[in-house]
Amino acid sequence: MADPNTVDPIHQFAIYDIFTLGDTGISFSNSSLFMVLTVGTIAAWLLLSTAGRKIIPNRAQAASEMLYEFVANMVRGAAGTEGMKFFPFVFSLFMFVLVANYFGMVPYFFTVTSHIIVTFALAMLVMVVVIGYGFARHGVKFLKLFVPAGVPGYVLPIVVPIEVISFLSRPVSLSVRLFGNMLAGHITLKVFAGFVVTLGSLGFLGVLGAVLPLIMAVALTALEFMVSTVQAYVFAVLASMYLNDAVHPSH
Amino acid sequence: MAEPHDTKRPTGSVNRETSDLASRIAAAQRSREGAEVGGAAARDMTALSRAIRLGSEFIAAILVGTGLGYLIDSLVGTRPWAMLVLLLLGFAAGIVNVTRAVAEMNNAAPVPARSELAPDDEDENDDK
Repeated sequence: MADPNTVDPIHQFAIYDIFTLGDTGISFSNSSLFMVLTVGTIAAWLLLSTAGRKIIPNRAQAASEMLYEFVANMVRGAAGTEGMKFFPFVFSLFMFVLVANYFGMVPYFFTVTSHIIVTFALAMLVMVVVIGYGFARHGVKFLKLFVPAGVPGYVLPIVVPIEVISFLSRPVSLSVRLFGNMLAGHITLKVFAGFVVTLGSLGFLGVLGAVLPLIMAVALTALEFMVSTVQAYVFAVLASMYLNDAVHPSH
Repeated sequence: MAEPHDTKRPTGSVNRETSDLASRIAAAQRSREGAEVGGAAARDMTALSRAIRLGSEFIAAILVGTGLGYLIDSLVGTRPWAMLVLLLLGFAAGIVNVTRAVAEMNNAAPVPARSELAPDDEDENDDK
């Protein structure tokens, strides 16, 4: 943004290619770069902090263990002890979304989760695992997921399509929620920060007025950190609840 | 889950420390077994995230229903009937989603026993 007086809150979501692999159409964009950075940060943190494997952990190891315990309790609470076979999956999802959201809070960083295709891919990953594991484990009985117990036969033609649509809406609501939160939060933040710049260029009174949006921007930053955490948590909790359906398909 | 400051604990008798550890392990195992399925789901969500959750659950079902109907229509050529029917079914599915999500949230945060709003036993069996 060269001109300080034009505020372009959408500019931060622009994707550009960093390099392309020949003319295959596969390119490495800034989004890919931050995905790699996210995964790299998570892997480096977890490997370094648990390298010592101390019985009495130091701070870094204690933090990693708390993350482990937190996600483990979440999966166990939502999908039972049987669902713990999905722990690595849910933990990866949670850490990826959490760290990607936090990365987005650093100025000049790109927010990976503010693009719906990324969150939708993550949600579809969950759905593919649910459907794949459900059919592999229970076979045709997995379809009982769409037939609630104790429903009389003559309403089934109405109930089953409703259940199917409700099931199919899960990846949509899961991805739209995360994407919408990150997108809206970052745009609001940019708009209020833009107010500060615009008002600040209007002379003394403008600088006085700019204090208000500045306060707002500070408060929104704190709110955004909370939203980042909560949305990563919600994403992981709902993922493990959907995985619960794959483990125990009958309602 | 030992706290990092445990290193500085004055070394008491070994027996006391090991029995303390044993009881802590027992307590942790008890809380692990006690965790019931579906309980911890929506416990500490903020009001905002709860509202967004309900809204997105509702709208997603309508969108999916309508989109599915549109798809069927363009495949079979019955425009606009499948879309209309599936729009209504999507609406119903949205209501189902919302009632499920609310039921989860209610289970996560039980109503105080003496509250006027506490459900009677008869109302309980609706969504099971």
